[in-house]
Amino acid sequence: MGDEVRAAKPDVAANGHNGVREIEQEFVRDHLLQAYGCFSSGHKFCREVCPVYQVTRNEQHTPTAFHANVVAMEKGAARLEDVAENYSYCTLCGGCELRCPNTLFVGDFYRNRTRTVKLVQDMRAAATKAGLGLWPRWQRWVEATLQGKNEPVLDYENIQPVDPNRVADWAKDLPFSIPQGGENILFVDCEAAYHRTSLPKAVAKILHAAGVPFGLMYEQWCCGGPSLEMGYPDHARYLAEHNVADWKKAGAKRVFVLDPHDYISFVEMYPQFFPPEELPEFVFMIDFVAQLLDEGKIRFVKPIEKTVTYHDPCRMNKRLGKWEAPRKILRAIPGLTFIDVDHVTQWAYCSGAGGGFAVEHPDLAKKIADLRIARAKELNVEALVSACPWSERPLTSSGREQQLEVLDLLELVAEAMGLND
Amino acid sequence: MATLTVPNPVTDQVITALEQAIGKEKVRTDLGARIARTRVPAPFPVHRFAEYMPDVVVLPESAEEVSAVLRIANQFRVPVVPRAGGTGLADGAVPLHKGILLDIKKMNKIIELDLVNRTVTVQPGLNMLKLNEYLAPYGVFYPDDPASYPVSIIGGRIGTSGWSLIGSRYGHTRDLVISLQVVLPTGEIVRLSDGGGAPKVRKASTGYNLKQLFIGTQGTLGVVTEATLELFPKPEAELAAFFGYESFADAYRSTGALSTSGLGTLAAVILFDERKVDYLRRDDEAYIPLPERIKAVVATALYGVEDEVRAAANRLFRLAKETGGEYLGDELSAGDWASRHDRYATPLHGRLPDGTVVPMSWHCEDAAIIYSELPAIKQKWHEITDRYIQKYGIFDNWGMFFYSNNPYKGWGDYLVEIDIGIWEQALNEETWQAWVNLKREITRATLEHQGSISACHGACREGDAEFIPVELGEGGFELMKKIKRLLDPNNILNPSKNYLHLAYVDEEVGA
Ligand SMILES: Cc1cc2nc3c(=O)[nH]c(=O)nc-3n(C[C@H](O)[C@H](O)[C@H](O)COP(=O)(O)OP(=O)(O)OC[C@H]3O[C@@H](n4cnc5c(N)ncnc54)[C@H](O)[C@@H]3O)c2cc1C
Ligand code: SF4
Ligand code: SF4
Repeated sequence: MGDEVRAAKPDVAANGHNGVREIEQEFVRDHLLQAYGCFSSGHKFCREVCPVYQVTRNEQHTPTAFHANVVAMEKGAARLEDVAENYSYCTLCGGCELRCPNTLFVGDFYRNRTRTVKLVQDMRAAATKAGLGLWPRWQRWVEATLQGKNEPVLDYENIQPVDPNRVADWAKDLPFSIPQGGENILFVDCEAAYHRTSLPKAVAKILHAAGVPFGLMYEQWCCGGPSLEMGYPDHARYLAEHNVADWKKAGAKRVFVLDPHDYISFVEMYPQFFPPEELPEFVFMIDFVAQLLDEGKIRFVKPIEKTVTYHDPCRMNKRLGKWEAPRKILRAIPGLTFIDVDHVTQWAYCSGAGGGFAVEHPDLAKKIADLRIARAKELNVEALVSACPWSERPLTSSGREQQLEVLDLLELVAEAMGLND
Repeated sequence: MATLTVPNPVTDQVITALEQAIGKEKVRTDLGARIARTRVPAPFPVHRFAEYMPDVVVLPESAEEVSAVLRIANQFRVPVVPRAGGTGLADGAVPLHKGILLDIKKMNKIIELDLVNRTVTVQPGLNMLKLNEYLAPYGVFYPDDPASYPVSIIGGRIGTSGWSLIGSRYGHTRDLVISLQVVLPTGEIVRLSDGGGAPKVRKASTGYNLKQLFIGTQGTLGVVTEATLELFPKPEAELAAFFGYESFADAYRSTGALSTSGLGTLAAVILFDERKVDYLRRDDEAYIPLPERIKAVVATALYGVEDEVRAAANRLFRLAKETGGEYLGDELSAGDWASRHDRYATPLHGRLPDGTVVPMSWHCEDAAIIYSELPAIKQKWHEITDRYIQKYGIFDNWGMFFYSNNPYKGWGDYLVEIDIGIWEQALNEETWQAWVNLKREITRATLEHQGSISACHGACREGDAEFIPVELGEGGFELMKKIKRLLDPNNILNPSKNYLHLAYVDEEVGA
């Protein structure tokens, strides 16, 4: 479908040192007011919430420092290249923004909430544009994504591209077949399509059982979000344009999304690239399952005798304020004992997987996952349920070490619906 | 002459020595590390940003590593500035002479929980919220509760001798520390408790009470590397009640009556003046609906066993009513108390005289003043602040709070706070000097009314520090200088804080 793509494929290594001062000035100009909003507070309420700080305890990896650097640049006390590296120490979880009194007390009134996620993303893009070459693993990751059209999730070590022709292989041994195209499209995230294939299968079964017709894309590419998060907005756009063209060709009106990272790309990033009329409606699967339950279109028939707690995926809970539906679903599953940790406490929780953090800082990401599992263990539960495939890989691995099972919410839904029998 | 008034710079040799002593990964010279530890939330001369950047940051994890750093500093005569949470409001953790910044946040281990003797022993890099999360399942809590509870850190609480919102019931930091391990400026490691050396004994008379000497030093006499802390039963009941008054005079009298009520569960009495109420009505959504007739507010809180709190609440409400107080309702009381910690520095509540909203930094004056002087201080401080606002246009007056300050009993003296906004982005040397002069005038008024310059933040800043000799008097300050010189012969530990550079100047001129 390459002919559908309008943007020229950008070259990952093409940027040079030229213009780093201009890039710095533009960055400072864009963020100065916000930066002063934080710098002049400096109270650091955000700090103990930040998952990265919790494992480094290094003040330079905090939102406060990220904002202070902007003021330092404005005052000529630092240059972009002196401080840029610090901005890789962030999972883009959004917890700090919520915990910031500037968001809590003046966010609505003055429409001026703290925007640390945007700051970090923009710095990564600025550093990349300036050709600083700070993050070789991200560069390889984005290169491999362009080659494989999907993220290189099968080989974190060497970052080798996946085979784009196998993006729908997960659907092969389903007892029913899924057509291409149509009004309802199921978008299967890279991690789920290539690695955690049990998840898209479960979702397909749920939709099928609920009698909701759906198809797959002709050629699904990465949503582009990770490229944006790693500092490559042009590449993100390149991938996004393909997907939008593919949906158009399919006649898609609704896109079901099973992964929070894709979902936030679609609802936050895509509207920056495309006018609303070019975009379909995006439906997050967890919300949809909750709705189907409400409408009585699906039923839980199989008790699941387990004591579990729930992990709020950062992009759902912290960045989009979605935390009710998963709890509702868990409470509706017969046999399940659900020990909740409220969503505000979970502002400080994270799996370490987001924002490219696990690619560039795998050791620290593991510490974050270990901490999340340890917190679940304290509740004396048998399993931790998550709703984000990206979190499930590191959590499962830490869970194995600490003897705690990690489950996926939608897979659990399929199980409770008796669809695996 | 062994002393120095102008410290030596940090050379490559110093860095190498530090790296060899504590490991390369705990020694950071990159700008990101240094910028992040340049300021604290107090107003900052941002136009002189680079002057306050430390040369190198060290991240020790044990008393031995702290000791090694201090020994190197002595060897090379370079300054060391301890930094805990970096939330101090008096610049204690700001490097005045660059040098080595010693960040203790990696020292955050809980060493021992002793439920039988009701103590917990911790490293100083731990935050109180985190400590209490750990303690919660055991039914005990550590009650040091500043408004910076989620962010400040035990080492900094000890370094500043902090004030706790519920200190009138549970005591303040200095009342809650049973014993300390301290690394002296020359590197020796000592254990000090109240009047002796027994780590878990609260009251002793064996030796000098050296523990208190090391609380509130702003890291000028030693670095705390371990502390044994007091545990209380977790309160069964916490009740916050806010009352409104038609005049400040009424609210002031009521504050006096409430704080001398003798109620043992009374944890705090906080008086808000008219200007504070105006400011909250202007910008704080919770207060905007307050009826116009309310001119001043008194907030109270009761903490303790349920039966006690219930009985005390009856008495408290009656007393407040008898003295002209009108209960402001559960929603405001509980809501404000629960979010009290977060409601201080909100830069976008800053306004220029014409009403324009600009992000302002927060100055929090924190003098300790006796009850009889409160009305006079209030008038003077507002007059001074308003004069500077008129003249310079980059400040904003956010009103005043008066908090009960006496540990275990609400009466006597008050932490008096005027909150002033400063538009940092617009600072230049002239307006910065104007700011320092404003502070000087406020400090003079404090001293004229028999007050102490600082109840809890410390007096390290220009505008405060130069008045320490005045407040202590000649003999008192002379003693401070002697102690500093005795313990820190090379003036390496947080040099020039608390005006203690004078400790060395005297020696040089042979005084
Ligand atoms: C929003 C807000 C509200 C606040 N409310 C209160 C309040 O209610 N009550 C109150 O008391 N304060 C309050 N403060 C001020 C501040 O939080 C306290 O002064 C606190 O005690 C500082 O702790 P810190 O960990 O941030 O220390 P820092 O600012 O890092 O350091 C404070 C001082 O202690 C020294 N120090 C640090 N570690 C050590 C150590 N290990 N050994 C010896 N010296 C050391 C430093 O050199 C410095 O001089 C508030 C601040 C903010 C921003
Ligand atoms: S991000 Fe918000 S909470 Fe954190 S230091 Fe800045 S202003 Fe304070
Ligand atoms: S977005 Fe999350 S990881 Fe990044 S600074 Fe904020 S709290 Fe830390």
